[in-house]
Amino acid sequence: MKTTALSILVACASLVAIAADDPKQRQDLTAVIALQGKPCGEVVSYVAKGDNDFVATCKDGNRYRVYVKDGRVVVEKA
Amino acid sequence: MSQATAPPRDAKAATPPAKPAAPAKPAPAPKAPPVVAAAAPTAPPIDLKALEQKLKDSNAIGVMTKLSLKNQVDDLVAQFRAFHEGHQPPTLAQLRQPYELLLMKVLALIQDHDPALAKALHDSRDYIWGVLADRNKFLANT
Repeated sequence: MKTTALSILVACASLVAIAADDPKQRQDLTAVIALQGKPCGEVVSYVAKGDNDFVATCKDGNRYRVYVKDGRVVVEKA
Repeated sequence: MSQATAPPRDAKAATPPAKPAAPAKPAPAPKAPPVVAAAAPTAPPIDLKALEQKLKDSNAIGVMTKLSLKNQVDDLVAQFRAFHEGHQPPTLAQLRQPYELLLMKVLALIQDHDPALAKALHDSRDYIWGVLADRNKFLANT
């Protein structure tokens, strides 16, 4: 019973992550990736992994993890 | 009418006589000549601290973009600090390119959503460079 409840909770959480599709956030991620000089075009979707931690999928197929570490924005290939 | 073809130097003579003048209305005051020089006063240039604050306050860019820009501005300022402490390269001429590039990035990000700030930044381009390049101004402003 506990396992089922946990599974539902995890499924809901992942659904929330997938549903996170704020155009402003996409624009923000697009700008951040461009500022770091990485090829992207524009971010078409993203998944929020945590606070200030995202995996962004670009129009050109590239995927990047964008996160903040020690006050710096890091963009690395996912 | 012969008066209609008269040279327009005499304002009274140029008035068409066919229209009866309204006697109650006083003659309109002569318009002041347009003052061209004072029409568009130039705003004072914005310094680094003011620019940082304006970018923080602007809604044109997102939070992560702001942080990323701050990282890049801090990196550039650190390079200027090293230059002023005597570490070379980069030379001042070599620092001009990353400065211009960063300015272009900021302008590209804000020009559509915050044109006033973009204009202020564009107009302050040389002023900011002057602050960064001059040791005394740099130390006083950073």
